[in-house]
Amino acid sequence: MPSKKLTLFQAALLAAALAVVLFPVFWIVMTAIKPPTDWNASPAIWMPSQPTLVNFKTLFDPDALKEYGVGGVSQSATKAVFGSLLASITATALSVLIGLFAAIGISRYGAENKSTPLVILSGRMFPPAAIAVPFVIIFSNIGLTDSYVGLIAIYVAATLPFSTWMLKSFVDDLPREIEEAAMIDGTSRMRAHLTVTIPLIRGGLFATTMFIFILNWSEFMFALVLSYSNVSTIPVQLAKYVTATAGTLYGVQAALAVLAMAPLVVVGYLIQGHLARGMTFGAIKQ
Amino acid sequence: MDETKRKIGKACRKFDEGKMTRRSFLTKLAALGVTAAVANAVSLSPFGAATAWASISGPEERAWALAKEAAAKASKKTLTLLIPTGSIGNMTPYVDKWKNELGIQLEFIEEPDEVVHTKGMQEAVAKTGRYDVMMPTAMSYPDWIDSGVIYDLTDWTDKYQPDLFNKQWGVVFPASHHAQLYNGRVAGLLNDGDQITLLCRSDYLDDPDKKKAFADKYGYELAVPHTWKEYYNLAQFMHDPAKGFYGSLEYRSPYYVKWMFMQRLVSKGKLYFDADMNPTFNSEEGVAALEDMLAMNAYLHPDAFSFTWSSNYNAFGRGEGFMNIVWPSGFKYSMAPSTGPATTGKIAATVMPADTLKDGSKLYAGLFCWGYGYAVSRYSANPELAYAYSQWMTSPTISADAIPYLGGYSDPYRINHMLEPTERLVQTYTKPYLKTLYDNMVNTVPDFCLPGGFEYQDALDKQVHACMTGEKKPKEALEAAAHSFERITKRIGKDKVRKSWLALAKNLAEPIKKASGADKWPDA
Repeated sequence: MPSKKLTLFQAALLAAALAVVLFPVFWIVMTAIKPPTDWNASPAIWMPSQPTLVNFKTLFDPDALKEYGVGGVSQSATKAVFGSLLASITATALSVLIGLFAAIGISRYGAENKSTPLVILSGRMFPPAAIAVPFVIIFSNIGLTDSYVGLIAIYVAATLPFSTWMLKSFVDDLPREIEEAAMIDGTSRMRAHLTVTIPLIRGGLFATTMFIFILNWSEFMFALVLSYSNVSTIPVQLAKYVTATAGTLYGVQAALAVLAMAPLVVVGYLIQGHLARGMTFGAIKQ
Repeated sequence: MDETKRKIGKACRKFDEGKMTRRSFLTKLAALGVTAAVANAVSLSPFGAATAWASISGPEERAWALAKEAAAKASKKTLTLLIPTGSIGNMTPYVDKWKNELGIQLEFIEEPDEVVHTKGMQEAVAKTGRYDVMMPTAMSYPDWIDSGVIYDLTDWTDKYQPDLFNKQWGVVFPASHHAQLYNGRVAGLLNDGDQITLLCRSDYLDDPDKKKAFADKYGYELAVPHTWKEYYNLAQFMHDPAKGFYGSLEYRSPYYVKWMFMQRLVSKGKLYFDADMNPTFNSEEGVAALEDMLAMNAYLHPDAFSFTWSSNYNAFGRGEGFMNIVWPSGFKYSMAPSTGPATTGKIAATVMPADTLKDGSKLYAGLFCWGYGYAVSRYSANPELAYAYSQWMTSPTISADAIPYLGGYSDPYRINHMLEPTERLVQTYTKPYLKTLYDNMVNTVPDFCLPGGFEYQDALDKQVHACMTGEKKPKEALEAAAHSFERITKRIGKDKVRKSWLALAKNLAEPIKKASGADKWPDA
């Protein structure tokens, strides 16, 4: 790491940039612990007058807000949290797994067909809204609407181009001589990839997994369109915190947003070493 | 509730048999929660009290009989309702009754209100049969009927008589037609009287110093405004930004601002189209309406350009303005001490202000905008049961019971809700406000309840907003909106939209028909 000290100007610039980046996070966290009277106060209340966990409690006990005279919340967020975890983790695992082998295939054996990567990426060139309704028709014909299998399938389809492309760049940057050396030592192609390629690109693998997980975790359109009552996810649940008696429940929305951020922050912190390596891996060229 | 009804029925029969005096009969009904107006009507009925009571409760009983029959033969014992988030409070009190007495489980699928229309259109192509009852706003009916996703309810309403047009307890005209019919056929049953009215702070109106200062400055007495000019004067007079108190909280935000324009346009005697589907808002009246709005901007709450319905209600409830143009839920909101700490007991409401026409006459026009209703899905496994639920929930008796429950959007829409209210309705809305709602509703003009209605509305909204933000001059904005309207009409098919528009215009209030010239238009 560079030991050179920041100039005053650089420090001020950095502080300003951090303030801009962190302000929404600060505001969401503060709103999550504000009582209903402070949510939408004018002038805005920066720090809660009486910090409370009632917004978090309301996520799992819809009646909790009644202590503030606010009713009308009808749904617990438990199902949405469970749904988001199930759909995002499964879809991420599948997307990265399939993307990994697709990336190795394209990088190491796909030289004869240069358009393959572009074809794969073309799946992401449509706006989600454009392909959502055709999926509804297809899924309703095969009984996959309002099911986690259907949601996971579409999440995998939507993120696979990204995982393939990201992982391909990491595999491309790994000298193929290392794998060939393993094969000279007698390992099969598959074993060489499993024991040499994958461990050596694990930084990229973590970075890709994190990126794909964020995409799946925050996806709204497909979950909204393909769900009725069996399937629920956090982004869809966030849009439902509107009541006739109190309007938009900003505090409860913020509490769920904080909860939604938490796994990303925790996992990001735990794998930050790999993440940094993954993000910079492409810079090490042969 | 059933026990109360049984007791009311018994009292009616005793009265008819001469076993009870009129005074004791009225006392008995009052004790059972029947208001004086209803009790009087029942006791004075030439057909006898039992018959009169049966009439007002008839739609409910006919619906319940159908529900029993349909439930008995239903293979699927769940009735699924697609409802907008925030509306469930008016429905949950009846879940147990349907389960215990009919064996029918009510399942509510809540969706954000802005996606309910899309979900319906999606069902038209997906045909999942997941919904039985769907709860859109009146603007969805044309597109939903045309796409075949909901039933035309006319045959059922002919057979089971929900008394939609009854003079005493029907849905108030013209919302009875605008918010329930599509091309003269019943598409849905209204369950929410969404009209906009004007709220003022009564404590400011009653202030002797302000009374004197106002009379000195404007030459007439301080009171709720009857015209847009008076509304402007009041906003100007009460505007005190240094104290965080503003003249009015009228919306200028995207999506809401079109309603503020439409309201003013109609009170100038202009509708959205002429009889041949040519846009008419790009006229001198339209330009004047926008100019009036621009002049008002100086006296609006600074958040007017970003208000949603709830942030607007919050600001008024906190005491940040003198006037507000809101739905009936805004009145409820401002009345409740928890949401309207500064406005509880301090609200004077009035019908939307009139404008002065070229001949010097005043034209009162309200706007019936939004307004949820029940529609029956074509792909429902039990459509008759779904219809029975819709009629039962919107019957004069059950709806009067359902509306005051908190946690739902349902507001008064039947005549008896406003003119013969139950005690609970009075507690929730107050008698003067219920009367105001009635007086305003009889002059309401509908939203774009036409094929492509959401597109028309959106095109107008964008241009009105561009004008309010100074991006476009009034005439320029309205011409751009008119151009978009022409394209939408051409794409959907002029004959199709025209038929629907003429059907809507046929049922406008007479003063509005006359002022706009729609009284001379041909039938659809």
